[in-house]
Amino acid sequence: MSSRGPLSTAAIKPLSRAWTTADPLLEVSDLKVWFSVSSGVLQRTVGHVHAVDGVDLEIKTGETVGLVGESGCGKSTLGRAVIRLLEPTGGKVFFKGYDITHLRGERLRGLRREMAMIFQDPYASLDPRQTVGDIVGEPIDVHHLAKGKERQDRIQELLRVVGLNPRFVDRYPHEFSGGQRQRIGIARALAVEPSFIVCDEPISALDVSIQAQIINLLERLQSKFNLTYLFIAHDLSVVKHISNRIAVMYLGKIMEIAGGSQLYRRPRHPYTASLLSAIPIPDPVIEMRRERTILQGDVASPINPPSGCRFRTRCPRAREHCAEEVPPLESFGDEHRAACFYPLD
Amino acid sequence: MIGPSRVAELDMPGAAIEGASTRPAQSYWNESWERLRANRIGMAAGILILIFALIAILAPVFSAVLTHFQPQTIDLSQTFSPPGGKHLLGTDELGRDTLTRLIWGARVTLGVALLTVAVSLTVGTAVGMMAGYYGGWLDDVLMRLVDTVLAIPAIFLFILMSILFRPTPVSLALIIASVGWGQVARLVRGEVLSVKQRDFILATRSIGARHLRLMLRHLLPNVLPVLIVAASLGVGQIILIEAALDFLGLGIQPPTPSWGNQLTNAESYFFHSIWLVNFPGLLIFVTVLASNVFGNAIRDAFDPRLK
Amino acid sequence: MTQPLLEVQDLHTVFSTKEGWVKAVDGVSFELHPGETLGIVGESGCGKSVTALSIMRLQRPGFIKSGRVMFKGEDLTKATEAEMREVRGREIAMIFQDPMTSLNPVFRTGWQVAEPLRLHHGWNAKKSLTSAINMLGKVGIPSAVDRAEDYPHQFSGGMRQRVMIAMGLTTTPEVLIADEPTTALDVTIQAQILDLLRHVNQEFGTATILITHNLGVVAGMCKRIIVMYAGRIVEAGPTTDVFAHPKHPYTWALLRSIPRLDADRHEPLKPIDGLPPNLVDLPSGCAFHPRCAFKIEKCSRDVPALERVGDTQLSACWVTQSGTELKGA
Repeated sequence: MSSRGPLSTAAIKPLSRAWTTADPLLEVSDLKVWFSVSSGVLQRTVGHVHAVDGVDLEIKTGETVGLVGESGCGKSTLGRAVIRLLEPTGGKVFFKGYDITHLRGERLRGLRREMAMIFQDPYASLDPRQTVGDIVGEPIDVHHLAKGKERQDRIQELLRVVGLNPRFVDRYPHEFSGGQRQRIGIARALAVEPSFIVCDEPISALDVSIQAQIINLLERLQSKFNLTYLFIAHDLSVVKHISNRIAVMYLGKIMEIAGGSQLYRRPRHPYTASLLSAIPIPDPVIEMRRERTILQGDVASPINPPSGCRFRTRCPRAREHCAEEVPPLESFGDEHRAACFYPLD
Repeated sequence: MIGPSRVAELDMPGAAIEGASTRPAQSYWNESWERLRANRIGMAAGILILIFALIAILAPVFSAVLTHFQPQTIDLSQTFSPPGGKHLLGTDELGRDTLTRLIWGARVTLGVALLTVAVSLTVGTAVGMMAGYYGGWLDDVLMRLVDTVLAIPAIFLFILMSILFRPTPVSLALIIASVGWGQVARLVRGEVLSVKQRDFILATRSIGARHLRLMLRHLLPNVLPVLIVAASLGVGQIILIEAALDFLGLGIQPPTPSWGNQLTNAESYFFHSIWLVNFPGLLIFVTVLASNVFGNAIRDAFDPRLK
Repeated sequence: MTQPLLEVQDLHTVFSTKEGWVKAVDGVSFELHPGETLGIVGESGCGKSVTALSIMRLQRPGFIKSGRVMFKGEDLTKATEAEMREVRGREIAMIFQDPMTSLNPVFRTGWQVAEPLRLHHGWNAKKSLTSAINMLGKVGIPSAVDRAEDYPHQFSGGMRQRVMIAMGLTTTPEVLIADEPTTALDVTIQAQILDLLRHVNQEFGTATILITHNLGVVAGMCKRIIVMYAGRIVEAGPTTDVFAHPKHPYTWALLRSIPRLDADRHEPLKPIDGLPPNLVDLPSGCAFHPRCAFKIEKCSRDVPALERVGDTQLSACWVTQSGTELKGA
């Protein structure tokens, strides 16, 4: 991919030192995204949903970071905030060394050429009134990347790259199955030639027999175009397959982050451990023998998160201290960090 | 840049490439048109409206070839001729040919209806889309404005406006549209709010599209079906409003013929010259009915689930 | 083996569409024995849900073209609507994927859970509510007495599914049909609900049909499974055998295509090529043959019947029926 970039020409304040490809592609520090909750006739703000509440994360060029957690843990919000589909309430987001936290207007539009998103629902994420050609061609038009014949060629090329017949340019989304629609969505994301893609549950709405096709496609595209992924999913088996590192989120905070097999073999945070034990393994022999830690209760409210450690209300290891202080993410060696006062061995 | 040479290396499963449906490309509009065509009564109503519109457009031709009268030609020797003979549908109190006046009246009545719909749809869509899309204080301001407009008793407004401006077809259309856009704005805003929630709007934002593109390329086409239904149902309503205003003497002023003001004059002669009431009344009735039937047919065609 | 509790025989359920009749269920036969948990797995559109709905005669707008559903010596496809109302909820209970839309938002939860008791046993409001609260406690709803006063929207997704299960169990039915009961839930909540279903099966001896697309869920829940594809059963047998030695290429390929949490090395997945079948326009012969790596000439011509392959399994595949082992890179 060429080193063009509206980012480099835009006068965005860079970090103190120059960014090199050895530095993290994306750096998030103490990121907060809060949504106000209003009520009453006058719509007064009565509280905030702490969707993302102080997240630190680094993503290196070419790697895939998996982000797992249950619904409402803030993983989608985090994904949208790092590519600036949402404006963070607090903290910083650096992309290629540039502070993009509060970009606006044309500079933000420039950033859109560097980042893309793949959505969960292949039915809702494609405009039903547009043809496949319109959908995939739109990023090309928006950024004036090509015109006329060249534009047509680009669209056909993109369709071929994602495994769709280029003859389908004049078809409408409703004529395609879920898996094919997801390919259209991927082609649209690739059209801006991004370096970073947020995949927000890209396979959870697809049929089981189609999921592997899409995962393999995403992996092939990554090595072909040197893409960096933030892969958001609730299915830890899929995340473990595709990711170099996995971050586990709970109620707006990262509880644990580690390499995939490290996390699976030796989880330090009790939440990770119970999450792992809750995932069914498609093997009856293993399933029958498995010891299960079944978590009690539901996730607490993100409007009034528990004091101290957010997981303590469901944690089998919680003690008094957990309610008093927020555990920091501490290193357990080799890129393995967990936020727990009483970690597992 | 994605080059063709690279693609050849990608081992894409063949079935994923070729396995799509073999049906010819069918857009939403094509499918809706197919469903509309299958609805015979709806199509008949649509064709009837089309015929009326054609007659209205070709009124001078009909005057010259068919009736051989001009709408405002007075012939005091031929007052109250019953239908038949030289005057196919009879004459009125000034000996003017009823058929000729009905044909020219169609021009005025249908013209006013069309212009009114066009103006209220344009203004209403613009306001509704801005309010729904941007939300926040703009939404509040625009929607309070709509509430205010809709709260004004329309009939008093019409009376007042008619006194202030002598109604011509164009000014009458603007007067009716000054109230009509409010409902359109509400309708469009509601649709925009629901379409805006869908992921493809976020997806389009994620590629860096500007607001104008989002509104014109994505929101408008998705709101259009609702607008078309509103327009076709609106024609009927407006014809009725216009006829009522004309009848009350607040609309199109004689001697310009409209279906409504032909009724005004006819009222006095109801007992001895019933054709003066029957024909304009029948035309209004048929046109409004056709417009409603056609409007419902379009609604069904766009959204088969509603059936 | 004991007498089967429920016997589905050659069931055909069809739907009328613009493009013609769609065979949603095309000749499905199976038995459910007392106290067992039977898994029905398959992707969307394979006919697993329609099969369940047909048992309850809730398949509308579909239409049961032929076949029998034998329950306690009676053919449910021939039963009158009044007789079916007696069976539904009282003897066969059903829980669905989305517990929000299955509960009526305007009634208190306890009242709804008690409804089958008022309806089927004719109990009065007080007696039925007491029993309902008791059942809410048994399915793990804390402070059930107070929660019975709440409305459905005041419960979380997992709690609502518990409420649905309680409602299904009040009349101590003999069969519980759970249609994707955990698909809408988070994994830790899924684990809770699956644990509850296991517990229900043990404590009440309720025979359960568990319908899911999740192979992991059936692996941990069911002794016996049925695999469906395009309206037909393609494979059936004891879960351990089916998972260890699948006898149908679809099951075989599906098991290889899913990423496993316990997989050690990072290697590319082996996806199933092609697209899920379009029921309106099914391929000739075996519906899976266009996606099948083992297909022989016969597969595109003739539809294979479900026959015994190996000691314990049934498979509808010409290749394995002729004795070929499924192996691949």
